[in-house]
Amino acid sequence: MIARRGRWSSVVLSALCFAALACSGGGESKTAATGDSAKAGAGGAAGKAIKIAMIAKSSDNPVFLAARTGAEAAAKELSAKSGTTVEVEWLTPAKEDGEVQAQRVRQAMNEGVDAILISCSDAGKVTGAINDAVDRGVTVMTFDSDAPQSKRFAFYGVDDAKAGQQTMAELAKLLNGKGNVAILAGNQNAPNLQKRVQGAKTEAAKYPGIKIVGVFNHIETPQDASAEVIRVNNAYPEITGWAFIGGWPLFATSLLSELNPAKQKVASVDAIPVELPYIEKGVVPVLLAQSVYLWGDVGVRTIFDKIHDNKSPANAVMPMELVRVSKENLGDWARQLKSWGFTDVDPKYLALPAASGAPATAAPAAGQ
Amino acid sequence: MAELTQERSAPRGPGFVRRLVASQETGLVIVVTLLTITLIALAGSHLDRRTGLEVNNFWNPNTLVQTLTDASFFAIMAIGATMVIISGGIDLSVGSIYALAGVTMALVLRAMGPMGPGATAVVGIVVCVGIGLLCGLINGILVVGLRVHPFIITLGSMWVLRGIAFVISKAESILVPPSLTDVAKAPLGLGGGLYPVPMLVMIVLTIIGAIYLTRTVMGRHIFAFGGNLEASRFAGLSLGLIQIGVFAVSGLTAGISAFLGASFYGSASSGDAQGYELYVIASAVVGGASLIGGKGSAVGAMLGALLIVLIRQSIRTLHFDQNYEWIVIGCAIIIAVVIDQWSTRMAARRLTKAAESARAAA
Repeated sequence: MIARRGRWSSVVLSALCFAALACSGGGESKTAATGDSAKAGAGGAAGKAIKIAMIAKSSDNPVFLAARTGAEAAAKELSAKSGTTVEVEWLTPAKEDGEVQAQRVRQAMNEGVDAILISCSDAGKVTGAINDAVDRGVTVMTFDSDAPQSKRFAFYGVDDAKAGQQTMAELAKLLNGKGNVAILAGNQNAPNLQKRVQGAKTEAAKYPGIKIVGVFNHIETPQDASAEVIRVNNAYPEITGWAFIGGWPLFATSLLSELNPAKQKVASVDAIPVELPYIEKGVVPVLLAQSVYLWGDVGVRTIFDKIHDNKSPANAVMPMELVRVSKENLGDWARQLKSWGFTDVDPKYLALPAASGAPATAAPAAGQ
Repeated sequence: MAELTQERSAPRGPGFVRRLVASQETGLVIVVTLLTITLIALAGSHLDRRTGLEVNNFWNPNTLVQTLTDASFFAIMAIGATMVIISGGIDLSVGSIYALAGVTMALVLRAMGPMGPGATAVVGIVVCVGIGLLCGLINGILVVGLRVHPFIITLGSMWVLRGIAFVISKAESILVPPSLTDVAKAPLGLGGGLYPVPMLVMIVLTIIGAIYLTRTVMGRHIFAFGGNLEASRFAGLSLGLIQIGVFAVSGLTAGISAFLGASFYGSASSGDAQGYELYVIASAVVGGASLIGGKGSAVGAMLGALLIVLIRQSIRTLHFDQNYEWIVIGCAIIIAVVIDQWSTRMAARRLTKAAESARAAA
């Protein structure tokens, strides 16, 4: 008798799941269809179209959302110019997970995409999947975080060790070469962040007056990162400088009141709109911006050149330079962010006068 | 104990057919089939580069094997976790056991240097299974020895084991020897980029798990333990050993899954399988396991894992907004449990009515 329990429960469950799925389908389409390309997923045979799966590390990180905006804008522009429809399909996991990324690579490959643009959470985990995709004729490019042992044809991103060095060098300058320094390091398993930490340590070693108090890891959300900074400050009152090798705590406003610029100096990687008040108020005098929009923009253009024109970049590794953002070029940077599609740039920054030397934010040519 | 009837060997004839139709696994099979048909109908198609033929975006060998492979890592762990749940416990540490077993295997293999493919595979599986078994035994011994609820013990061990994995790996993602990947990705004659090994291991372990639960005395003791603790005590069962045993099996399956996962993906790190414990528990629950114990099956766990992965797959194949994935899976779990509880109450009411009718007739 008990065996009858739940006989039809699964069937009802199925119906409700379908209903939930149908509701979710009422939201945005996952295909950034350009032009008349809305056929994707419903019988979109290849035809004259280039379909690119974009797999960033996590979909809750604003820097990757900017990269997505860049990719979609580039796809739209290329579609209009060339007559070949370029589609970007966003297959980024909700949170960082190398195994899930590998699964997404296989899924994209099985659904017949032409190319994959990926930032690798764990190169070791995705290398096999990338190689399988390349072996099956899919063009693969990495951005932000590379899989150097894989068969990808190009990588676009900053030199992470150099980024760590630059961050520490800026901090050392702010501290006049003397102080107790902490490094905020994000996810301890991310290879690119490990390289940045190593770069920061290497740079710190050049300054005899700089002492590294510790390297502090945390979950990569603004709240967790801010909480970690506050915790560490309470535990180590002797800290006079912070090197944030990622901008996580500055993606929220809590540290605007928690950090005292008279007591602590901060230099940080990343400069998205929400971080600009930190420069304005002098809490973080220097931000080293990754041109995150260009991850997507350059990625899509490079892939397009490869597939459409059979043109590869001169070097497989295409370096992205960090842009130094301070009070001097805050207005220029704000306008640059606005032009990249960021909608949350405070108008007061857009009204700031131009610096004498505009920030170097131009995208490298695909063939660079 | 009542569920013993559900798990008992199937009688032949119309009774068997009735039971088959009535079983929750059949319901899950229907759900999976419906979802599959829907996906085939709505998935669209693309041109296969290798063959030049138009293929369905879902109903093609690569996607099907990929879906089953994705499910296999959860499903294998879910088989072990289901035994813990049947016993009335819970194991939150399976994801951490997975990470620790994978990392330890990768470190051991790196320390041992180059070996033949056979030796590499043997060392790998022994280390992974050994670590998984050891962790499971420790969990079980702590639960029994300290008389603390499994939720607390495994919550603690979840952090401890992942912490150990982090410390010993120095947060590095450690590559495993390519020969190990060759084992996990052996085409077994299929070719065409099809890797059926994880899927086959899942099927074999499901069969073993089902036999263990339904055809062995130890398996039935687990149902007895979870279904009615007092009755089991009076029946003279070794309660401590049963409880240690289920945690050992849960650790063992996590170790096997870790071996397959690290080998298939080519590396192991302390961050692996973070949050997977929830998928594993969800698989067991959707598969019909009752969190109050006494109910569940290995086949149900596998089907539960497959259903969850299919829901994830369908969100992508049908190009729905993937940000809804967690909402859909969360709803599915809640609905499954609520319906199950409702049907349990209905069954109990029917039993009471039947008993009252019999008494009145007498």
